[in-house]
This record gives sequence, structure tokens and C-alpha cells, in this order.
Amino acid sequence: MSAPLAETLTQLRVGNQKFLVDFYQRSRHLFARWAQRQFKLEVPQAHALLQDTLLDFYDQVADGRLTLLPADLRAHVYGMAQQRLDAQVPANVPLPAAEASRRQRLLTQFNQLGADCQQVLTYFYFRGYQFEKMGGKMGFPNATVARRQKSTCLRKLYELLK
Amino acid sequence: MSPSTPSSDLRPYFDDLESFADGQMTPAEQEAFELRLEQDEALADAYAAYEQITADLRWAAGHNTLRLRLQALDERMNQRGDALARTEQLVKRRRRRWAALGFVGAVMLLLSVGVAAWYFGRSGNARPTRNWEAYYQPDPGPAVTTGLLHSRPLLGEALDQYQAGHYPAALHSLGRVSATSVGADTLLYLRGLILLRQGQGNAAQLYLRRVGDENSTSELARRARYHLGMAHWQANEPIEALAELRAVAADAQNPYQASARKAVASGVLVPKE
Repeated sequence: MSAPLAETLTQLRVGNQKFLVDFYQRSRHLFARWAQRQFKLEVPQAHALLQDTLLDFYDQVADGRLTLLPADLRAHVYGMAQQRLDAQVPANVPLPAAEASRRQRLLTQFNQLGADCQQVLTYFYFRGYQFEKMGGKMGFPNATVARRQKSTCLRKLYELLK
Repeated sequence: MSPSTPSSDLRPYFDDLESFADGQMTPAEQEAFELRLEQDEALADAYAAYEQITADLRWAAGHNTLRLRLQALDERMNQRGDALARTEQLVKRRRRRWAALGFVGAVMLLLSVGVAAWYFGRSGNARPTRNWEAYYQPDPGPAVTTGLLHSRPLLGEALDQYQAGHYPAALHSLGRVSATSVGADTLLYLRGLILLRQGQGNAAQLYLRRVGDENSTSELARRARYHLGMAHWQANEPIEALAELRAVAADAQNPYQASARKAVASGVLVPKE
């Protein structure tokens, strides 16, 4: 694997998703043609399938199931999409994997939170923003308010999980 | 919680766990908390559960972020595709409209040409011609016989040239004919005829007027009046032409009465108001 490809996985693990977003932009049209030809999928369905497949790929990288970037990424993604169709996985649901049900439950509850709470928790836990920066982004008066807001949101999520 | 999640209740420890995990404790508080973690099993379980949740939350937030980014990109690409398709459709529609307009224009042009051709073609038949020659009944003059050529060879030659359409030569030959042998009025009449046929209406009038005097009742004078009228017509003098031709048309003894009537009846000489 070349250095830039190795770097790609590292970037994905620390939350830089640009590589997958670019891949989607480049491949959406061709993927839809392939899915239409192979599985008679309508274009919007094919687009949704590619999005789910790339989310699966991201999960594999994020939780360490994928440690090497495949030599032929396109073939790998298309293979994952085919597996998804063969297993008849519902749309917007990740592929079954270890701890998937726990994570899936948390994801479901996370989506139940209000938009502000989701944003605050994303800034803190995914983006890694400090309270001060997060306060600026969210329009809070200071870092203390941001910390309290984040704490409240985390408790809400915990209560939903209980 | 699911079976794979530590079942500890975090609520009693939430503030401490959060402060510790977020680095909000002083070094002394942190040291004391780490000591408690080693000694308090329930706290250690709660800490493990807390770490599990925040790890899952990190994943969920990343997963959700990517999902939202892909959805937003998908929407943008769809909108762009729709806009491009609309633009393409608009261009195609415009092209079709221009082609249709071009076709209609071509059809209209063809129709116009056809109508114009029909109108002008029709006008040639329906509208009376304004050309004097269309109404002119020429006088070929006396027949050129062997006797004439023998008795009056110059006159015979002039008539022969006139009848053959060689008008300058005919005028030249006529100029050599003596008035005493033919008669002055005949010479004037013939000269007027030849000049008229040559297209010199104004000059022809001078000779024909002298022959066709109003008081004269000879047949030559009657003939001369008709040709005088035509000479006026040829010289673009419709009022004079009409007056002469009306007089001819009213003269029952004039051999050109029918021709003059036809010209008068056509109305082409009547001045337009």
C-alpha cells in the first residue's frame, strides 16, 4: 500500500471523511449504472446502497476491522454492496458485526436527541473540540455553558439508553 | 442496556466520571479519583461503562456525520443533475422552437413567393397592358409589286425596307423619293409611320399631324389621325393620345375605328386621379 493510501486510513480513523465523500462523488454515477445492470436497481436506490456501503466501510475502518486499504478499493466497495444486497440488509443499517447491536441501539437513541444535543456531542466526541471552541460554534456565551450543555446532552442520551 | 454493555448505573458517579474523562479535575482531584478507581469496584465498573458509551458515541457521531454528508452531497448532485437536465431540455426545446419557426418561415416565404408569382402572373392577364404596342395596328403600306419597283423604284425600295423592319434605311430611301412622283401627303404619312415604328413618337407626330388635319376627310388623313394618336401614346402623352383615338373611334369611316375603340375602351389612357 502506498504512503498516501496508508495515510487515508489514518485520516479516516481520526474522523477525516473527505476521502469517502470524494469517492462517493466520483463513483455515484458509475455505481448506479452497475447496480442497475446487475440488480435492476433504480437510480435513487443505487445511490442509497452506495451510501450505506461507504458507511459500512467507514465503520470497518473506525473500529479496526479494516487495517489495510484494499488494493482495488472500487472492487472492494462493489463487493460489499453485493454482500449487502445478498444479505438483504435494510437500508441505513450497518452490516452485522461484533457489538453491532449495542452500537446500533446507541445510534438510534442518539438520533432521538434534539439537533443541538447531537451537534454538541458530535463537536466534542467526534470533532474533539474544546469547550471554548464548541461554545463559539454553538453560540454559547462561554466555555462553562458549553460544558454544562454537553453534560446535559450526555445524561439525556444515557437516560434514553437505560 | 444491551447485554454487551456494562450494566452499572452511572448516575451516582456521572459528575466525577465526566470531570475526570474531560480533564476538568485539578491534579490533586485527579490523583484522588484514580486512587478511588483502584479501590472501589462499583466505581471502576461505572468508569468502564462510561468509557464504552463515549467510545460508541464517538463512533455514532462519526457515522452520523458521514451519513449526513453523503446525503447532503447526494442531494446537491441530484439538484445539479436536475438543473443540467432542465438546461439541456430548455436548449433542446429552444432548438426545436427555432427549427419550427424556421420551417414556418420557409413555408411562409414559399407561400409569399407563390402568391406573388400568382398575383403578377394573374395581373398580366387580368389587368390591361399599358404598352401602346399591344393596341397598335400597324400599317404595312402599299404592297411592293414588280410594277411599283419598276415605276417608282425608290419608293418601292423604301417600302420594302420598311416592311422588313430596316427603318433607318427605309427613312434614307424615302428621303430620296421625289414628292412630285408620289405626293407630299403620302411621303409625310410614310415618314411618320416609319418614325413611329422606329420609336420616335415625338418626331412622327410632326409628319402625321400635317397629314391628318382635322379638316381633311381623305382616307390618308383618317389613317394618319390613328397613327398620330399612337405616336402621342408612344411619347407618353396619354391625354393627347386619348383625344386623337376617341376621334378615330367615333369616325365610322376610319379603317382603324375598331382598333381605336379597343384602345379607348381599355381605359389605360384615362389619367388616374
